[in-house]
Amino acid sequence: MTMENVALEVKDLKTFFHTEDGVVKAVDGVSFNVNKGETVAIVGESGCGKSVTSFSILRLIKAPGKIEEGSIIFENKDLTKIKESQMRDVRGNDISMIFQEPLTSLNPVFKVGDQIAETILLHQDVDKKEAKKKSIELLKKVGIGRAEQIFNSYPHSLSGGMRQRVMIAMALSCNPKILIADEPTTALDVSIQAQILTLMLDLKKEFGTSIILITHDLGVVAEMADKVIVMYAGQVVEESDVFTLFKNPKHPYTKGLLESTPKVHELEDELKSIPGSVPSASNWPKGCRFYSRCSMRLNHCNDNAPELLGDENHIVRCWLQNEEVVKQSEYAK
Amino acid sequence: MQINKIEVSELVEDSLPEYKKNSVNRMLKLLIKSKTGLIGLVIVLIVTIIGIFAEQLAPFDPNAINPMLINKPPAWLEGGEFAHFLGTDNLGRDLLSRIIIGTKVSLIVGVCSIAIAGFIGMIIGLVSGFYGGFIDNFFMRLVDSFLAIPNILFMLVVLGVFGPGLLTLILVIGATQWVTYARLVRGEVLSIKERDFVKASRTLGTKDRTIVFKHILPNVISSFIVVSTLSIATAILLEASLSYLGLGIQPPMISWGGILEGGRNFLATAWWISTFPGIAITITVLGIIFLGDWLRDVLDPRLTK
Amino acid sequence: MAKYLRKRLLEIIPVLLFITFIVFFLVFWVGDPVALMLPEDAKQEDIENLRSALKLDEPMLVQFGYFVSNVVQGDFGKSFRYGEDALPIVLERLPSTLTLAFTSMIIAVLIAIPAGIISAIRRNSATDVFVTGFSILGKAMPSFWLGIMLILIFGVIFKILPVSGNGTWAHLVLPSITLGTAVSAEMTRLVRSNMLAILQQDYIRTAISKGVKPLSLILKHGFKNALVPVITIMFLQISTLVSGALVTEVVFAYPGLGQLLVQAVSGRDMAIIQAAIFVVAIMVILLNLLADLLYKVFDPRIKYN
Repeated sequence: MTMENVALEVKDLKTFFHTEDGVVKAVDGVSFNVNKGETVAIVGESGCGKSVTSFSILRLIKAPGKIEEGSIIFENKDLTKIKESQMRDVRGNDISMIFQEPLTSLNPVFKVGDQIAETILLHQDVDKKEAKKKSIELLKKVGIGRAEQIFNSYPHSLSGGMRQRVMIAMALSCNPKILIADEPTTALDVSIQAQILTLMLDLKKEFGTSIILITHDLGVVAEMADKVIVMYAGQVVEESDVFTLFKNPKHPYTKGLLESTPKVHELEDELKSIPGSVPSASNWPKGCRFYSRCSMRLNHCNDNAPELLGDENHIVRCWLQNEEVVKQSEYAK
Repeated sequence: MQINKIEVSELVEDSLPEYKKNSVNRMLKLLIKSKTGLIGLVIVLIVTIIGIFAEQLAPFDPNAINPMLINKPPAWLEGGEFAHFLGTDNLGRDLLSRIIIGTKVSLIVGVCSIAIAGFIGMIIGLVSGFYGGFIDNFFMRLVDSFLAIPNILFMLVVLGVFGPGLLTLILVIGATQWVTYARLVRGEVLSIKERDFVKASRTLGTKDRTIVFKHILPNVISSFIVVSTLSIATAILLEASLSYLGLGIQPPMISWGGILEGGRNFLATAWWISTFPGIAITITVLGIIFLGDWLRDVLDPRLTK
Repeated sequence: MAKYLRKRLLEIIPVLLFITFIVFFLVFWVGDPVALMLPEDAKQEDIENLRSALKLDEPMLVQFGYFVSNVVQGDFGKSFRYGEDALPIVLERLPSTLTLAFTSMIIAVLIAIPAGIISAIRRNSATDVFVTGFSILGKAMPSFWLGIMLILIFGVIFKILPVSGNGTWAHLVLPSITLGTAVSAEMTRLVRSNMLAILQQDYIRTAISKGVKPLSLILKHGFKNALVPVITIMFLQISTLVSGALVTEVVFAYPGLGQLLVQAVSGRDMAIIQAAIFVVAIMVILLNLLADLLYKVFDPRIKYN
């Protein structure tokens, strides 16, 4: 793996929220790479920091939130350090984003076509007429028939699936190198979800875009991702390629997540769920953050925070991977 | 099912004292944190004390005319006397004493008219919400009509017909400010009527009165207090405006609006006559607004946005 | 659209009927205007004749019928004071009041929209605190007192602006500032809170993620969404504006409807009071209707069914 192949490199990212009740460490030292043309899924429960991570990449974090530390390297620039005006050139142009709720994410008082054209006009040297032509082409490309008519529609008159197609068209309008998709199908009907995912896969092949997919749905991960990053309590707890992760999950949390996902071909009466809930982000525990919910915890885990262990292809933040610790410590009750 | 029920009620019981304790703590915490709330409380307390003990606090007889003391400036200006701290008016009456006595009228009009408004609004809201149908329709059209025309027009007609005076003023302000209460109570009645336990208890023959006192009043009381506080500010401003127009409080009764109007023609020679009553009104209303905002944050977070 | 308009116009009828009834009922209650119209030593026969000429001897409902039919024809009777038909006298004053209302609204909008937007963007900054403080102060201050203070500063001390009357644009300056400031207080607060709500919306985040520049973000993506609430806010202030105009006109002896109405109320000139109330009420209702129609232009989501 050479550096030329890396599209985005996130290093030790820390994004904190300074609230009245203390500092909420929503993202607490996250690192990962996104290769060119690769789809990286970030999974985890709500509150694990996956959305904050993705928003940090485009610097969409609003006060009282702040990127405290770390770097996000894109094309030899550190996105956490560059000027706001430079950042604006990156947004929507090099890196674009689609959101969970397409209805609220589109501006209700502008025609959807104009919203697509706006992005094109912002980043490309074209006139309005040309931008409109391109927008209509894009609408066709995302599978919207009657594109000319839809161009002049307002978001509220479109269906949920159509709106998300418009969002995708808008996000792809400047051939971005990276597309961040934050729960792109969560708000949609089940029947529409598959269509949107297929569309994203097709477009990725055509444009060669890298995708960062934020989701809690392992079904979506299995279908879309090349690489999976599992996040828990503001940290990466496991990272590997998609096949390894599903075949051989190592972190107890990942195992729990997989067991709580329904499998069509296995007729089980009960879905297992992970007991307990994520500890408070303003006061992370000293030891392993999953300790309170872990079914395989060691005495050692309560006081010692685990590091990421493993090889290049599969890393896990768990003491069970350290044979010496396992030998010396006993399972906790 | 049965077990669930018990658990839920236990949870509610358990949480009650904690919640109450919390809300007192929360009130105090918010009061100390909200400087404006504290300022408002202090202003309202001072104004209330001045209003209640106005006669005892006024240094002079507010109606004593003294030709020797015409248009004396405030104490800190040349020619002013410490005894007549805010100066005297065109008839030589002590301005400070007049403003102190005027406080009483403002408070009486503010509190009484809003008490009337609250009472009317509560009754209409309850009747409208409970019986629905034609009665509800009628009252809601009435509410719309009151909202459609500026209140002051209605007041002017009534004052034109009955003539000005303290009682008329209280009644007419009360008769225009009930609308907010009626809507508030009606909304609460409608939402409570739809809840299952109320439906159930009604079919079991629980009297409407019981529902009103057990379920509706406790739910609206905090909104009621908040709305009342802010309405008193409105009433005080209305009283001042109408008295300024010569249609409210009539001499020899003293009101802030009246003093202000009396000084209108002496701006060039005695600016203080019109200035200080205005400051008194502004400070009082400001205090009430601050207090009201704080009460809203404390009692009724729903209303905050 | 035409259907909606028709429906809205039909909705006005009950409101107008209500106003008619209130006005009629109050006058009916006051009793006999004949005693006021004839000299004290009038013969009993003359009194009877005038009573039947005025149809005052008929039952109440019949009188109400006459009253409504007269009102529909624009006949409110003759003014005691002017001895002429009331409606033309009132209508003659209308343009002055509309001019004052219009210039005041422009001043209010010019203050409120930029102040509200800036304080929403720079939330919790010194600017925001200042704007919010100004807005609360504006609500607490009686507008007539502000007017008097402006007269004191610009008319008495600096002598640069006329303080009463009508005729030139200079006469409009102080009344418009007085009224405009009063209206802008609440307007600023509403613009600010609406803008704050809009800046929290998902589509603003989308726009940022597209690389939209800050100015365009606020003015294009933010403010166009704020337009509908802002128009609503503007028209919500109509009642404040009209009430304020009545009082402001008296302060500045500005010959508009308000001054006429206050004089009529003092002199119990019923014909003028009735005509003025109707004219103002219809003006307010029509302006509100206009507001409703304007919404559609700015918000594609609103449909009239």
